[in-house]
Amino acid sequence: MGSLDFTDQLILLDGAMGTVLQQRGLPAGERPELLCLTRPELLEEIHREYIQAGSRIIYANTFGANAHKLAGTGHSVEEVVTQAVRIARRAAAGTDTRVAVDMGPLGELLEPMGGVSFEDACDLFREVAVAGAKAGAELAVIETMTDLYEAKAALLAVKENTDLPVLVTLSFEAGGRTFTGCTIPSMARTLEGLGADAIGLNCSLGPDMLLPLVQELCGSTRLPVVVKPNAGLPDPVDGHYHMDPEAFAQALFPCWEAGASLFGGCCGTTPDYIRRVREVLAGRAPVRRAYRPVSFLCTPTVPLRIDGVRTIGERINPTGKKRFQQALLEGDLDYILDVGIQEVDAGADILDVNVGYPGVDEADMLPRVVKKLQSALDVPLQLDSSNPAALEAGLRVYNGKAAVNSVNGDPAVQEQILPIVKKYGAAVVGLALDEGGIPHTARERVDIARRILEAALAHGIPREDVWIDCLTLTVSAQQGQARETLAALRAVREELGLQTVLGVSNISFGLPNRALVTETFLVQALEAGLTLPILNPNQKAMMDAVAAFRVLSGEDDGCRAYVARFAGESAPAAPAVPAADGGLTLEEAVIRGLRADAARLARAALETEEPLSLVNNRLIPALDAVGSGYEGGTLFLPQLLSAAQAAQAVFEVLKDALARTGGSMAAKGALAVATVRGDIHDIGKNIVKTVLENYGYQVVDLGRDVPAQAVCDAVAEKHIPLVGLSALMTTTLPAMEETIRMLKALPEPPAVFVGGAVVTPEHAARMGADYYAKDARQSVAVAREVLGA
Amino acid sequence: MELNLEEALRYAGVPSPPPAELRRETAEVAAGLTAAVTPRWRWRLLSLEHTAEGPYLPELDLLLPGRTAALMLKECAQAALLACTLGAVFDARLRALQARDMARAVLLDGCGSAWVEAGCDAAEEEISGRLPGRFLTDRFSPGYGDLPLSLQPALCGALDAQRTLGLCVTDSCLLTPGKSVTALLGVADRPQMARVRGCRYCSMNQTCQLRKGGKSCGLS
Repeated sequence: MGSLDFTDQLILLDGAMGTVLQQRGLPAGERPELLCLTRPELLEEIHREYIQAGSRIIYANTFGANAHKLAGTGHSVEEVVTQAVRIARRAAAGTDTRVAVDMGPLGELLEPMGGVSFEDACDLFREVAVAGAKAGAELAVIETMTDLYEAKAALLAVKENTDLPVLVTLSFEAGGRTFTGCTIPSMARTLEGLGADAIGLNCSLGPDMLLPLVQELCGSTRLPVVVKPNAGLPDPVDGHYHMDPEAFAQALFPCWEAGASLFGGCCGTTPDYIRRVREVLAGRAPVRRAYRPVSFLCTPTVPLRIDGVRTIGERINPTGKKRFQQALLEGDLDYILDVGIQEVDAGADILDVNVGYPGVDEADMLPRVVKKLQSALDVPLQLDSSNPAALEAGLRVYNGKAAVNSVNGDPAVQEQILPIVKKYGAAVVGLALDEGGIPHTARERVDIARRILEAALAHGIPREDVWIDCLTLTVSAQQGQARETLAALRAVREELGLQTVLGVSNISFGLPNRALVTETFLVQALEAGLTLPILNPNQKAMMDAVAAFRVLSGEDDGCRAYVARFAGESAPAAPAVPAADGGLTLEEAVIRGLRADAARLARAALETEEPLSLVNNRLIPALDAVGSGYEGGTLFLPQLLSAAQAAQAVFEVLKDALARTGGSMAAKGALAVATVRGDIHDIGKNIVKTVLENYGYQVVDLGRDVPAQAVCDAVAEKHIPLVGLSALMTTTLPAMEETIRMLKALPEPPAVFVGGAVVTPEHAARMGADYYAKDARQSVAVAREVLGA
Repeated sequence: MELNLEEALRYAGVPSPPPAELRRETAEVAAGLTAAVTPRWRWRLLSLEHTAEGPYLPELDLLLPGRTAALMLKECAQAALLACTLGAVFDARLRALQARDMARAVLLDGCGSAWVEAGCDAAEEEISGRLPGRFLTDRFSPGYGDLPLSLQPALCGALDAQRTLGLCVTDSCLLTPGKSVTALLGVADRPQMARVRGCRYCSMNQTCQLRKGGKSCGLS
């Protein structure tokens, strides 16, 4: 049997299995996946009816046959999948209909939304895919996904472990987003990059309401597009879907006109629907679509078209930054996230991420930083490393389409990095240098750029994903080189039509008034065709220059973004020191939660005061005043936290000052905090952490949903004398008790305090905790008692 | 649908009347939230039988154990099963805000709780509108009274909640995304007295901070 051609013909899929099973009286509460063991003849009959109705691909009844959903049934994935695929194959025997192994969502959300790690998800899907392929499935289907990350895990599992062609369909709401906020372009470009053979939409809505989404998808991908809608919407009172086969098929027709070429039905559809779709689409061939490739990066929720100037923030990089180096060595991911937050708030469209530093295991650190950044920031990332293992680890866990910085003209480097770029569907920056170094003429650099493009194309990386960096050299050292860089830029744009990347800051090393030179060079480069400047977005003048350039180039239509950026700035600039600042003291700034003021006053105070005295004599008393107000009922939790954050800003000033002089804060003592196994809501634990950190305690945040053993390991390894545990649900109190029991059995048992919505002093005592903290403020009292003030 | 600010502030640990500054900030947070996130819900009508072991939902082959369900559903021959969620997008916003501003995140968390309740109220109105001449009991959820959390997987399964709402249940019976509610409402032929909305019926009644301070959350 030859491979199935998705591109030159329309292909009919099947309709719902669950709906037909219900019609035939599937008993309540029965697991549909287990029917392959209990009612094989019923499944085979339904498959056969779909084949008779015209289905060329049928989905084996394996939608929920993963180890997570089968847990407790007493049946293995291999057993269930093998049976289900065999049944479908029996039904298809003697026809040209193909059998797909079907994979739906795992049934539990992936990190950071839920508790399943990305790698665990890959493993769970791998089991299904491998069993399906072994049992003779001819393709794999991943469907009804609402989380792009989960779809990626499933797709990697199929691609890495089988050679089955694979269709991936997500389930969208009428607004054009999935439940997790994923957009259609993000889905399309991410899955296309990862090597799906066809992509599309299934479930959620009827074909009429899916049409605008199908149109958007057809404009967002080169791949064949699948549409497998519901028979409209179900009525809550009687459970019936509102579209009949005729209405369904007629509403599907415009999806064909829009360019879709694989059609089927989801919830509420039956063989009658498929038969009618076959009749309505009889004699039709796929509609040719006008797809125009555009350079693109994304997160699931932020699709970023690179059809104008987009800025890349350069600050997540340890080079020349003592405080950043210290954070890397200490594994202080919160600090790195803060750097990213500042860049995004300053307007960066993309963040470059470089965590390479002596003493740091980059292949371990890069994926951790990617996850951390993506947990709280919604911008695409450019992973900056020369270490292939680190790049692969980072790209693997990245959710969306990322960029890689960088390859160059050296074939050895290309051979290491380009296959990784291709596998994960990333864009790639090519530096216009090679094993011979940086050429001095523009022409030589363009030649290298062309070779990089050819190598990328040969690896199957599309042209729009190849970006060239023509390299900035320091003008005070090599004055003629600025012009060569600009000339190369212009040629790469005009001759190769590629996106161009350039870090501009280097240009001005060694000169006075560096900002002026850098900004002028930036504007020159933009005019020469630079589309992706790498810069420090916290330098407002640089971002202002980009905003002005977008006006002059016409990209900022109607000058709207520019006007919005400077709205309210027509008044004379405010004086550097606000007049209202008159009597504000550091203590008051902390008490009132004024972060910026607190940081500024701390910097001023450091000129005359030692850091330690600043903490003990001014900061802590201020926090205590807030704490007393909180206990007395005159201040409330949000105000307690505001004060804590102002204090945090002061600590950051102190750490920065000390890092520059090579010193460090004498930490007061460490404690660990964790939300126990099973509990994934962690705002309470984070509140405790925020407050304790600002009393100067070193808080080791073990995270949420933490197994007892992991708490014990961390405590033993770091000799931590105090542990705070939080539980939110009555169902997780046993996990808390277990954790305490294991902690108390350690050779150096730590003191334990507990808290959380359902925990009472009685629970605490019964479980063997040393302290009960009813709120974050009380945890300070506990820490003082155990660790000292 | 309207987000009740006083309720949101109570969830954030600020009693009524709140300080003006916090009220203003919460209103800002609430406006951002309601513009970006809309509660989604699903419900279905189920028949109900009364057995010696308690109320029984035959379509789900599910027994509702304990006194709470028996009392609530005493006069009902049907029940509406409801799930309502703010979705994963809310959790993402809350995560992002926690990294930037914990104080504001606490306000957002409170606003989220109030917003999902507003969604449940709207769903309840919809249910009521589809059942003219019938009367609903108060809605009650696993975790209230003695209705066990262990019902969550069956209730979410009955609504196909992962597919229809993006709503999952963890091994420890926690609903994800975070701001999610499942509830039952009895459907009767005569008006039903309010029962649930008092501390006596709440599973938090031993641990509730408001109650310890001699106050209530306002739901009674």
